[in-house]
Amino acid sequence: MLHVKNRELVVPGRLLAEGKYLLGEGTFREGNGIFSSVVGLAEVREKRVSVISLQGRYIPREKDFVIGIVTDTHPFGWIVDLNSPYTGNLMVSDLVGRKIDVFKEDISKFLRIGDAIAAEVKMVDERHRVQLLARGRGLGRIERGRLIEISPAKVPRVIGKRGSMLKVLQDSSGCRLQVGLNGRIVIKGGDPKMINSVVEAILLIEREAHLSGLTDRIKAKLEGMR
Amino acid sequence: MERPERLIVDGRRLDGRRPDELRPLQIKAGVLKRADGSAYVELGKNKVLVAVYGPKEMHPRHLQQSDVAVLRCRYNMAPFSVEERKRPGPDRRSIEISKVVREALEPVLFLHLYPRAAIDVFIEILQADAGTRTTGITAAAVALADAGIPMRDLVAGISVGKADGTVLLDLMKEEDQWGEADMPIAVMPRRKLVTLLQMDGNFTPDEFRQALDLAFKGIERVYEAQKRALREKYVPASEEER
Repeated sequence: MLHVKNRELVVPGRLLAEGKYLLGEGTFREGNGIFSSVVGLAEVREKRVSVISLQGRYIPREKDFVIGIVTDTHPFGWIVDLNSPYTGNLMVSDLVGRKIDVFKEDISKFLRIGDAIAAEVKMVDERHRVQLLARGRGLGRIERGRLIEISPAKVPRVIGKRGSMLKVLQDSSGCRLQVGLNGRIVIKGGDPKMINSVVEAILLIEREAHLSGLTDRIKAKLEGMR
Repeated sequence: MERPERLIVDGRRLDGRRPDELRPLQIKAGVLKRADGSAYVELGKNKVLVAVYGPKEMHPRHLQQSDVAVLRCRYNMAPFSVEERKRPGPDRRSIEISKVVREALEPVLFLHLYPRAAIDVFIEILQADAGTRTTGITAAAVALADAGIPMRDLVAGISVGKADGTVLLDLMKEEDQWGEADMPIAVMPRRKLVTLLQMDGNFTPDEFRQALDLAFKGIERVYEAQKRALREKYVPASEEER
């Protein structure tokens, strides 16, 4: 039996469903009931009940696309800040893609402290130690663009259902966006004015993530700026 | 201040409440911009502000737990929170309260989701009028939920006690000072599990049961106010009625 409506605002400890439902994000089971563990919007899809949290830090998971900032180096790679309680570790071989003799070659020619990288989470162990992968299409050092940071909980809204919001942001501004699940977004494009309005649009999405009808409002706003 | 001759006159307390009535309660979630979660609570003349930071990387590293997150609580009274200036900084009393508050909050948190991390809770008492530890717990639970930290339930706190031989809900300062008993309680309201219970003074077994019943009644009201505060952050009260 279901006890919530779709997209209803729920608080921790709220009974969502009883019986044969599957546990989604932001929920837990106690006895026969499924409860919400966070403040967020309830979502029921088929038999899966989940709660989309409206707050919270980014926790790395395998296959996530993230944007990191190099904070330190060690003999075989770099420590990368992920806007998260957990830092990432990037090995030279996971950036360059060929065998490198770290005793002969200076790895600081590939990455330096302060550089931004687009990476994929390669592996997370049970102690939440994170291995990154920055080799491949769309990954690696970020050469140019505007980097902004938003709350990681709001990233799904910036992407939208099957990328609908992202498509609007890109198509109506002519900019290219790289959206890291850790709340960092890189905006690339020719016109600095359009970059500014995309930044404004993203901040608006962040502020009003819990309201509906956002995609159309953003579209109107960006098309008005052109 | 001198003790009034009687604390209860014709079934009414000094501020006009009946024995089973709470002081006016107001809760606001998300009041601090730079904290991950925050809450402000007023219960009568009590004013409490709570900030939550985390989960974040644990420093110093040797305090990290490799399988769970560590919850750290600090209960602190402002020097101007009481009538006679309180010497700033932690003292014996606030160190103890920090510990019991931490233990009252820990059971609701899914700490194993964040190994090696730390969650900091700062409880600042801006104005005190009896029952600050329970008000602090009430506020801390809202602030933790506001920070998006997964929880089994909220925790609501309230105090019960006895003055002039009558069992009372939510003691105010005069009743705490000159009454015969004071018993702070914190509860996970959904399953009515007690996470903190202390007592100063004495109850007979019958009075204790009566006090416990009264406390659970009060907890219910506190819990409703907590849930409302969390919702109101996203849906302003005027909009919800529509």
